[in-house]
Amino acid sequence: MNDATKNNPLSPSVSPNAEKISRADHQSAARIHFADAGQGAATGRALGTGVCAGLLLSLLMLWFAPVLREWIFAVLPESKFAIQLRTADIKQLQKEARSLEKRVAALRRKYETLTPRAPYLIVNTSGNRIQVMKGNELLHEGMCSTGSYILLKAADERQWIFHTPRGMFRIRGKSEYPVWKKPDWAFIEEGLPVPPPNARERFEYGVLGEYALELGDGYLIHGTLYKRMLGMPVTHGCVRLGDEDLRIVYKNLQFGSKVFIY
Amino acid sequence: MSLKHWGAAVVNRLAQPFRFLQQNRKAKVVFFVSLLVFPLFTFIVTVVLPVAKNPFEASAEDEFKESAEALPDSTPAEIIAGRQELARKIASLEIDQAFFQARLQLSKNDSISLAVDLIDSVAALEIKGVPIRRCKILRYRSGGLTKRLRSQGRLHQWLSTPFVLQKELATLPKSPIRIKEAPKDTIEANESKGEDLPIEHRDAEFTLKFDRNLNLAVEQAQPPSFSGRLRKIWYALRRNFDTTRDAVVALAYLRLPQHRMWIEIELSREDAKAIYRALPSRAEMALRL
Repeated sequence: MNDATKNNPLSPSVSPNAEKISRADHQSAARIHFADAGQGAATGRALGTGVCAGLLLSLLMLWFAPVLREWIFAVLPESKFAIQLRTADIKQLQKEARSLEKRVAALRRKYETLTPRAPYLIVNTSGNRIQVMKGNELLHEGMCSTGSYILLKAADERQWIFHTPRGMFRIRGKSEYPVWKKPDWAFIEEGLPVPPPNARERFEYGVLGEYALELGDGYLIHGTLYKRMLGMPVTHGCVRLGDEDLRIVYKNLQFGSKVFIY
Repeated sequence: MSLKHWGAAVVNRLAQPFRFLQQNRKAKVVFFVSLLVFPLFTFIVTVVLPVAKNPFEASAEDEFKESAEALPDSTPAEIIAGRQELARKIASLEIDQAFFQARLQLSKNDSISLAVDLIDSVAALEIKGVPIRRCKILRYRSGGLTKRLRSQGRLHQWLSTPFVLQKELATLPKSPIRIKEAPKDTIEANESKGEDLPIEHRDAEFTLKFDRNLNLAVEQAQPPSFSGRLRKIWYALRRNFDTTRDAVVALAYLRLPQHRMWIEIELSREDAKAIYRALPSRAEMALRL
């Protein structure tokens, strides 16, 4: 480069220094631009991450809210004992206590009259046990068999569930040497054709033991040939008893006696 | 790689998504604000407000009426103590009265009901007022709100009518039903006769959710079997999930989730099973505590 060109400020050529400065300016402007964009992105990311983490924490808090509330109840100061505040008139308080005692005693007596004085039977279907009671006195305890909870499905879409109904029943009939009139399911369960309603093969002798007590809806308390099954849920809904237990139940329970099954 | 290096690597990896926080202050503020808003809101709505606004708390009006009848501060301590004892006796008699009233009300129904007496440690199944099974309560615990109600002497108001069962959750089925297809002929029937009878050894733990915000959890005294333990974990998860879902539903309907009072009793496995199986779906319960 000649001197004239070098010294002329209007010369179109750019000095190497100026070129360097201009490039640096460009780079810094770009950096600022990118930094702004980066800051915006970081803020957005912060918001997204914060909200997600916050929601997760909220869910955790919801899960543990009952425990947290319990802690708060534990540390809350005891509130005023309502009656403790109503203590100005001692005579009034004593009167209130006496009248309450009388009312509670009357309610207790009324409640106690609900227990039958006559013998009654309690059948426990989950443990397969019976209790013969008279008032609050236990007369006899023994084993039984109750409903098996089998749901039998026949080919013709009919179905039966073999469970012992729960609740309070009354003895509706008593019989000695009962005869079992087999229902349809008894034949279906054995893979036999179902006979007409009063066919001879429906009547079976001796399988119900010496006695039977009717509970209604076809449910009976009766004896069994399968004594080793006593204590297990194997029946079709009736209550099966061993010979000795059946004799005691038959002797103590009269027509109309209460039977509680649970 | 040593354990220290491995630990540092894990921490580094976990911290990576949050690296942007180091870059600027604004992002840091936005992150922490958005992180805390939802949990804070949830804490206030599901923890603080249900405690502060629980429906059993004495109203300001009640407190005012009662304090108007209170003894003056100058009353000697022995007089206060004597009267407080009498007041406690009245509170306990009121609870007894509520218990018998609830049982007499239950006796009008035909279905099986439950009478839980925590003072005498007896849980009894009853039909028409006749106790048909008395079970010894071996241990019990109750929640803070129940204790608080007792300390306020307001328990009898809550106990005066029977609780009605709304929902139940258990580790054992309500009815152990087994399905049996009818045999085609006598040969098939004879083959199935030989099958062993399944004897049930299921553990019995259950929760009964009653109205008026009461949960009764029954646990068996015997330690559960291995499968029973797994079932218990699943049962506990379902129970917590139910509670959480109820809270979410309440919030969705712009209601405050209510704190449920709870009582946990321990019975023998046989007693727990008998009670669970005997209670009908809308069973009622009388409670004394």
